[in-house]
Amino acid sequence: MHDSPPVTVPPQPSPGLFWNPYVQILLTVLLTSAAQILLKIGADGSASDSSTWSLLGLKELGFGWTWLGILAFVASFGGWLYALRFLPLGLAFSLTNGVHIFVPLGSWLFLHEQIGSLRASGILVIIVGILLLAQSVARVEEKV
Amino acid sequence: MSPLLWILVVISQLALVTGQIFLKRAMSRRELGSHHARGWIGILTIGIAAMTVWFLLWLGVMSRVELSKLMPLEGISPLFIVLGAAIFLKEHLNWRGWAGVILTCVGVFLVSVS
Repeated sequence: MHDSPPVTVPPQPSPGLFWNPYVQILLTVLLTSAAQILLKIGADGSASDSSTWSLLGLKELGFGWTWLGILAFVASFGGWLYALRFLPLGLAFSLTNGVHIFVPLGSWLFLHEQIGSLRASGILVIIVGILLLAQSVARVEEKV
Repeated sequence: MSPLLWILVVISQLALVTGQIFLKRAMSRRELGSHHARGWIGILTIGIAAMTVWFLLWLGVMSRVELSKLMPLEGISPLFIVLGAAIFLKEHLNWRGWAGVILTCVGVFLVSVS
């Protein structure tokens, strides 16, 4: 009697749109972008403070915005670990570059920072790059 | 930038690639059966430790170098991750994937220097 070789079943995400690993990557990108903007608002709160506590980044911990930012970072890490269970690292990490689209847009919207032509063209190049990555994923999944 | 800071940048990027590879290994192992899944928390801990080293080195360099000079270097990290994943995790990308990675690196560079 022969033992049949162990069958490796590829991991399957839980059903439902929320548990789709690409949706989790999108949530990771949105949460990381939100975290950066919240930390910036928190840091601006102590910009005029030149004490050692402020230089060490500890004064910023006294602002609610900073803690919201930290919370968003922790939540984004959870989504990142979940996505890594199902997606190749190289692909997943490249898709997180969407942060470089949403941070400038969020900074423009909420912090009233300006987006120059060079930055706008950089954002467009990132969008094209991410679309190419998405297409490469679609082709691989078609073959599977 | 002094040679020491360049060395720190290279080490921080190595720590980032190492950390992400260990995180991926840990999460992949977690998906296997209970026998193979043993030790995934240890691998995850190594990954988080490497990411902490990256974060601290990056903060250290950031405090000594202008952000506008440093941020373009962040643009090449996806390339290092993809190369590391190809070598150590045997991941493959087709030509569209590679073109996408290179374009996002160029885009991040443009955003960083703007």
